[in-house]
Amino acid sequence: MKDVLSAAQDAIGEVLLGKSQAIKLALACILAKGHLLIEDLPGMGKTTLSQALARVLGMSYQRIQFTSDLLPGDILGTSVFDRNTAQFVFHPGPIFAELVLADEINRATPKSQSALLEAMEEGQVTVDGATRPLPDPFFVIATQNPVSQSGTFALPESQLDRFLMRLSLGYPSEAAEKSLLQGDARRVRLDAIRTVLGREQLCALQALVPQVTASDALIDYILRLVNHTRNSDACAWGLSPRASLGLLAAARAWALLEQRNYVIPEDVQAVLPAVVSHRLRATHDPAGHGGDSLARWLLSEVSPV
Amino acid sequence: MTALIPRNSLAWLLIAQLVVLVPHLPRLPWWIAVLWLGCALWRVQIQRMRWGYPGRLLRVGGLLLIGLAVYVSQGTLIGLDATVMVLLLLFMLKLLEMRSPRDALVVIYLGFFIVATAFLFDQGIPLALYQGFCTLILVAALVGLQQSPARNDPAAALRRAGVMVMQALPLMLVLFLFFPRLAPLWSVNVPGSSARTGLSESMAPADIANLAQSPELAFRVEFDGQVPSASTLYWRAMTLSRFDGRTWSYDQRLEQRTAPPPDTAGAALVYQVVAEPSGRNWLYSLSGSVSSTPQVNRLADDTLRALRPLSGTFAYTATAHSDALLQPEGLSVSERRRELQLPPSGDPRARAWARQLRAEYGSDAQLIQAVLAHFSEQPFYYTLQPSPLGQHANDEFLFDSRRGFCEHYAGAMAFVLRAAGIPARIVTGYQGGELNPRGGYLLVHQFDAHAWVEAWLPGTGWTAFDPTFQVAPTRIERGLEEAMREEGSFLAEAPLSGARYRGVSWLNSLRLSWDDLNYQWQRRVLNFRSEEQLALFRHWLGTADWQRIGVIVLALVFTLMAVQAFFWLRPARRTGTPAQRAWQQLDRRLRPLGLGAQAGEGPRDWQQRIGCALPSQADLLAAFFDCFVAQQYAGGNADAALLRAHLKRLVRNLPRRRSAGLPVKRRLL
Repeated sequence: MKDVLSAAQDAIGEVLLGKSQAIKLALACILAKGHLLIEDLPGMGKTTLSQALARVLGMSYQRIQFTSDLLPGDILGTSVFDRNTAQFVFHPGPIFAELVLADEINRATPKSQSALLEAMEEGQVTVDGATRPLPDPFFVIATQNPVSQSGTFALPESQLDRFLMRLSLGYPSEAAEKSLLQGDARRVRLDAIRTVLGREQLCALQALVPQVTASDALIDYILRLVNHTRNSDACAWGLSPRASLGLLAAARAWALLEQRNYVIPEDVQAVLPAVVSHRLRATHDPAGHGGDSLARWLLSEVSPV
Repeated sequence: MTALIPRNSLAWLLIAQLVVLVPHLPRLPWWIAVLWLGCALWRVQIQRMRWGYPGRLLRVGGLLLIGLAVYVSQGTLIGLDATVMVLLLLFMLKLLEMRSPRDALVVIYLGFFIVATAFLFDQGIPLALYQGFCTLILVAALVGLQQSPARNDPAAALRRAGVMVMQALPLMLVLFLFFPRLAPLWSVNVPGSSARTGLSESMAPADIANLAQSPELAFRVEFDGQVPSASTLYWRAMTLSRFDGRTWSYDQRLEQRTAPPPDTAGAALVYQVVAEPSGRNWLYSLSGSVSSTPQVNRLADDTLRALRPLSGTFAYTATAHSDALLQPEGLSVSERRRELQLPPSGDPRARAWARQLRAEYGSDAQLIQAVLAHFSEQPFYYTLQPSPLGQHANDEFLFDSRRGFCEHYAGAMAFVLRAAGIPARIVTGYQGGELNPRGGYLLVHQFDAHAWVEAWLPGTGWTAFDPTFQVAPTRIERGLEEAMREEGSFLAEAPLSGARYRGVSWLNSLRLSWDDLNYQWQRRVLNFRSEEQLALFRHWLGTADWQRIGVIVLALVFTLMAVQAFFWLRPARRTGTPAQRAWQQLDRRLRPLGLGAQAGEGPRDWQQRIGCALPSQADLLAAFFDCFVAQQYAGGNADAALLRAHLKRLVRNLPRRRSAGLPVKRRLL
């Protein structure tokens, strides 16, 4: 079963060249049952990554393009009056899929953002007074442009906290970009991807994650990390218990991807920047950047042993 | 354009200015406070970008105007009051010129200077505490200036300032105790000396009665040994020899001659006086005193003088010899003429009485006894509210009103003695004092002011006589309050004075405790001069040689630093689980090789890094780290012995020193 994981990584790597670390993090995020936020400039491969993930995992896939005039109904679905039955019939929106790609989430108004984010948290949506469960598994991969770009509504901290990880892809290396230019078009490559992991396999893998051993020493390490953000003057506020839970889950998933059934500090260190950077803010930085450097600083401050 | 002054530090700055100015405001004209408010308002408006900075014309004009205003209000531009006032005004106006943080620094440093100037006017404990508070606020303003505009945390600034001031306290103590006490290079005139109450250089009827209304402190005395009874304590301040018919005054020529010490007969009584600032240079001493304090002179009339007027409290030690005689050898012709001097006319009845006494008694001593007997036998009345006297004051007092305070009795007696041909003079000073049982010292207040007579008798020299004792012995034995109990006039004009409520026991004990505190402050802090410093060194260090003291102080400082360094630099104590200790042991072993665990490095990363540098140890490394990871993270049983065995084997095989090929340092992330 574990071979499947590396096969999945390889398959996505075929499309998204030279980004194995980001692909691994994205898989860890899904294994830990967390939602993923990809933040980068336009054209860096955010959508490609999410589409490739959906294909490899064989999940039902919907894409919502967020724009400033998007309404909550466009995401959740609406009830339409059916003349024949003389009743309102609910037409489910794109959110009723196993994997939802919320593209450019920060271009929509906060009202529409919160409709999605509520669904992420509850695993169900309430439309016209009726509560409808979302499919299981249910993942949201959201992409967003950096906040400094024009026409964006920054997600508030409370909503950022719902994403287990925030990834940034970054520019590809020269070699990767060269083979990208030489090879087939992305669209062709995407279509060539076949499903590696079935739905059942994914669920089984997800069930394996909590069974990965996290020793007392390791949990102490996570506690030291979290407490350090709470007690240090450098952070405007400390990490929440949800963040420490997420950190542990992500580290377990990472250990699973590393073909291990116990977590070592390196696993925590590998996922920590992705898990905490969007939840931290430097004290001296009102703009809200600086989470990445804080995460690096945090790792160098806290001894793993 | 340089950086602007952040808003929070401006608030700090204004608060600091206010607290620094407050102790000066009561001395200054009212318009200074208004001017400060104006400057502060303008500054705030500048900060809000509503108003601009004042132009050059305004600044120059304002400067001239201020010079003029100071000149008008003080009458001069030099002198202490005026210069401090100019400094304060410039301190305020600098607000309007403050463009960059550097200017704000200038204002704050000026604030520290102004804190120091306040001590020129007052050196009491309350002011010292308040100026400590000012220092704290100024330091907080300094800290606030370093904060960024975004990080605006006044409480943090205050906390940090508090810590810094606390850290400075030991240094302050060391400097206070050890810094050489240099004599001042210049002396400043006492501000407002004319306003002080106290004895004056002349004595007219009712002068001392007015002084007796003042509850202010004149001086404090501490005796070595038993405190003598109040009735023997005649504190001499000066002698008055010139009489113009109404006023006795002091002969300035006395100042020019210092006297040889008196013969040291009888028991020696050593006492230490801490005089309150009087603005004059006379001191208070018992009869026949010599002082060992260098800044004190002894004059021919057996009084002590300070070399400089007392601008602050002044402490001196003196020794009195109870049986010392004053000028028993006789008076010179000029002295005799001076001590017999009377105006050509006036007081005919007193002169006639003197002639009558002269004819009646052959010896001077008998004549004096007769005069004293006159005071005790006739219906004289001791009062703080004497009836006003006309042209022939002594006549009216002796034969008509017979109501008077000590200066009336002393003046009349000296007049009669001189008229009878006996050299006599008035002595003014204080009599008695209030014992503070807490400190074991005497408090002498202005209401203890007294005047008595000294007459020169052949054989015994100058001899003191107190006519007041004949009339009101309670005054001498138990103090003015008891003497005035019937009349109810004790401190009638000072209803709020603490001395008036001596009857209320808790209030009185509070007053005496506070006074004791002030006394200790004055003696031990304000009067800590080079003699006291040297005595302290001799007592604690066994030497008064500056070189040796320097060596001792340096040794002390180095010892302290060494202790501090030991606590800072000592290796981390062995704590934690066996696995953590093994980790630390390996870290210490590998550190000299440049392979110690880097900040935040995990076990496998570390293993890999060491493995790259020491490929030959890869197997032993893997054995140790596998065991470590298995026990720490993989849920294996913690077997400390096994881990130690792996570690031992690894450590034994590690190279001792760094070889050329080893990487020195590599960043982890």
